[in-house]
Amino acid sequence: MIKIVKRDQPSRAIFFFTPVLAIILTLVAGGLIFFILGFKPFEALKFFFIVPIADKYGFSELLLKATPLCLIAIGLSFCFKSNNWNIGAEGQLTFGAIVSGGVALLFYEQEGFYILPTVILAGAIGGMLYASIPAILKTYFNTNEILVSLMLVYVSKLILDYLVVGPWSNPEGFNFPETRQFSDSAKLPLLFEGLRIHAGIFLALAAVVISWFVFYKTYLGFQMKVSGFSLKTAKYAGYKGKKMIILVFLISGACAGLAGVGEITGPIGQLHREISPDYGFTAIIVAFLGRLHPVGIIFASLVVAITYLGAETAQIFMQIPKYTGQVFQGMILFFLLASDYLLFFKIKFIGLKK
Amino acid sequence: MNTNLKISNVTKIYPGCVANDNISLEFNSGKIYALLGENGAGKSTLVKILSGVIIPDEGKIYLNENNLKLNSPLDAKKNDIGMVFQHFNLFETLSVFENLIIDSDEQRESVREKIDAIMKKYNFSVDLDIPVLNLSAGQKQKVEIIRCLIRSPKVLIMDEPTSVLTEQETSELFLSLKKFSDEGILIIYITHKLKEVMQLCDEVAVMRRGKLVSVSEIKNENIESLANKMVGQNLKTIKKKKAKTSSDQLIKITNLNFTSEDPFETNLMDINFSVNRGECLGIAGISGNGQSELFQVLSGEIISEKNSIEFNNNYIGDLSPQERREYLMAFSPEDRLEQAAIPQMKIFENVALNNFKSSNFFNNGLINENKIKEHSKKIISDFNVNTDNIELKSQFLSGGNLQKLIIGRELITSPDLLICFNPTWGLDVGAINYIHETLIKINEQNKSIILISTDTDELLKLSDKISVIHKGKLSKIMNSEEVTSEKLGILMGGAN
Ligand SMILES: Nc1ncnc2c1ncn2[C@@H]1O[C@H](COP(=O)(O)OP(=O)(O)OP(=O)(O)O)[C@@H](O)[C@H]1O
Ligand SMILES: [Mg+2]
Repeated sequence: MIKIVKRDQPSRAIFFFTPVLAIILTLVAGGLIFFILGFKPFEALKFFFIVPIADKYGFSELLLKATPLCLIAIGLSFCFKSNNWNIGAEGQLTFGAIVSGGVALLFYEQEGFYILPTVILAGAIGGMLYASIPAILKTYFNTNEILVSLMLVYVSKLILDYLVVGPWSNPEGFNFPETRQFSDSAKLPLLFEGLRIHAGIFLALAAVVISWFVFYKTYLGFQMKVSGFSLKTAKYAGYKGKKMIILVFLISGACAGLAGVGEITGPIGQLHREISPDYGFTAIIVAFLGRLHPVGIIFASLVVAITYLGAETAQIFMQIPKYTGQVFQGMILFFLLASDYLLFFKIKFIGLKK
Repeated sequence: MNTNLKISNVTKIYPGCVANDNISLEFNSGKIYALLGENGAGKSTLVKILSGVIIPDEGKIYLNENNLKLNSPLDAKKNDIGMVFQHFNLFETLSVFENLIIDSDEQRESVREKIDAIMKKYNFSVDLDIPVLNLSAGQKQKVEIIRCLIRSPKVLIMDEPTSVLTEQETSELFLSLKKFSDEGILIIYITHKLKEVMQLCDEVAVMRRGKLVSVSEIKNENIESLANKMVGQNLKTIKKKKAKTSSDQLIKITNLNFTSEDPFETNLMDINFSVNRGECLGIAGISGNGQSELFQVLSGEIISEKNSIEFNNNYIGDLSPQERREYLMAFSPEDRLEQAAIPQMKIFENVALNNFKSSNFFNNGLINENKIKEHSKKIISDFNVNTDNIELKSQFLSGGNLQKLIIGRELITSPDLLICFNPTWGLDVGAINYIHETLIKINEQNKSIILISTDTDELLKLSDKISVIHKGKLSKIMNSEEVTSEKLGILMGGAN
């Protein structure tokens, strides 16, 4: 007989085991879905998860997709760890891209070492500005940050649409909804000839290291943790609780904004409608799959990035719609939440005990 | 109908501690049972097992000879076992009424009638339509009690229900409990107040370190014998030597007002007092009369006018708690789970919440974990917190031990002024004695205390001067020799 028993204290090992379990379950369920759709499950999974990263180009593409996911998820972990539910990273990414894109366009056909840093900074500031809206509304007007940050995503996308169709559209662009190409000085340098992987990856790695340090080693990280658990306690301790909430939103907005900069000054090179395949939303899954831990997030961003690539190869080789990628992302989150049950309960097989 | 509840050989082991060690007990309706024991003796664990919150490692529970399977609180409710927990289990942002109907599937209107009837019958008055966060601790406790009563339980368990009630409220509660008992409800009552046990209960079971050490009838016991059974040794009675009053003024509050934007908070009106070095000023009052606001104004959680608070010749009314700590003030708030500590964090992390001047817990913005841990170990040993694992999450400390940790954290900094609010709430007699001794020692070292408390005995024992707060106003300040508990009772009721 199987019995479910409450755990006295969630164990640390299970805390990092359940994400792995979730991935395994996702693979099993994915295979099953392929089977039902009439594909050979193992072959389909191979096309989805192995073929795309089997060569050097594929692997560099993996890193390319993992970069924004990792960067955003790191930012989000600041919010989520302190109980602030910022789910509008996609909007902060978009707005960061708009601001930095605007600055890049100002430097159209100009050269200079100062251009790229300015563009990057602009993106971070744009993301921060956009994230400050839900933060300020939350702290001073008690609004729900989940709703506000989510709704602002659509606002930012509409602003972007307006700009690339209207005032910022390329005058020589035959009315395509896109801006001019940025000058080379406004683009992130490529790391290898012939591959699209760019210097943005260093931004992500820096974010990983800095976040680890801030969270576990600094007074600021400690204050954020306390403020996240209880504003009342933060106030009693004498921390500026509200400031802290705003700060985590700003950090998270800056990271999302930087991810936006990475996209438009990296592989894209201009502003257009589709600058992000929902990286901002997918990064929420990455953050949780990585247990809000910087190192965990690196692994999680790689795993989730595969689903983007796999969807493309599977579409090319097997005519499976590329939206299967999102199905896989959904399944990962689903199984992660489900297996989190094991954090608090354990399963005992009573029949086995004599 | 008679109810018979039997606990048979119940054992619950936690890593590093046996909370319940092979306990067997039997209860019958018509009597009120007391469950006594030091902090961490395992009382809450035992009654949580009865209410399905904790599943025992071994042992069985029988209700009227039926072996109960209590795997969840719901199972307990289905078997007519109701419990009022030691710590509040209410949704702060929901209204009182919403909290009361949250687990009920009856019609809203009929529940409301039922609640009204209960409140009338037992003389409770709580506004049903305001959010719980605006209630005083005493009122929250009442909501918890009403929530049990709605289900007309056969067994009613109360884990320290009176810690936050005033004497008046307590005696009202006792009348109700006696009524329940006459109506056939079996009552199990946990408390640290031995006076209450003598007054209310028929039989008493005493636990020590997880074991049941005695079961006896109240008529064969007295306060001293019970205290000795609990602690396992004789308790010394402590008394404060009234010191010669110094005239060296430490803190002075002048024309302090606080007007809240929240209509359910109490406004403070024209507060004036001063405390000299080596003195303890007691502030009595029924909970909900502005004590919490006064505490916050004094601690700096609520900022006031700069000149309204003068501390050691500095005007500090506009400083934050952190900045006030720099002037050697320390604060011990009433609510240990929601304010003074963070249950989900480890013990040593909670110690770091009081980042006082010379602590060096954080150097140049970096955490100095060794320093914090070293300091935590000292608090744990100096203040008899019954664990040696500073990495333990503080939610696993028993209520009393968490309180010792907090008081310890504040006192170990040797502040010039300690402001504390119900510092011995929920502590066992031994721990109370210890805290009281410590507070007296502070005064002897020429340091001062502002003691806001709803426990009149405590105030009379420790204070040099006493004032009463009523509806946000302080009474005139009296020398404690000229005050009796009757006089305080009258002032607390609002008379002049
Ligand atoms: N989940 C847990 N993990 C480890 N130890 C625990 C856990 N829960 C309780 N304990 C320990 O079990 C012991 C009994 O705790 P319990 O809460 O039953 O004490 P209590 O008698 O109610 O004390 P108090 O009067 O302070 O409320 C304590 O030493 C406590 O630290
Ligand atoms: Mg208890």
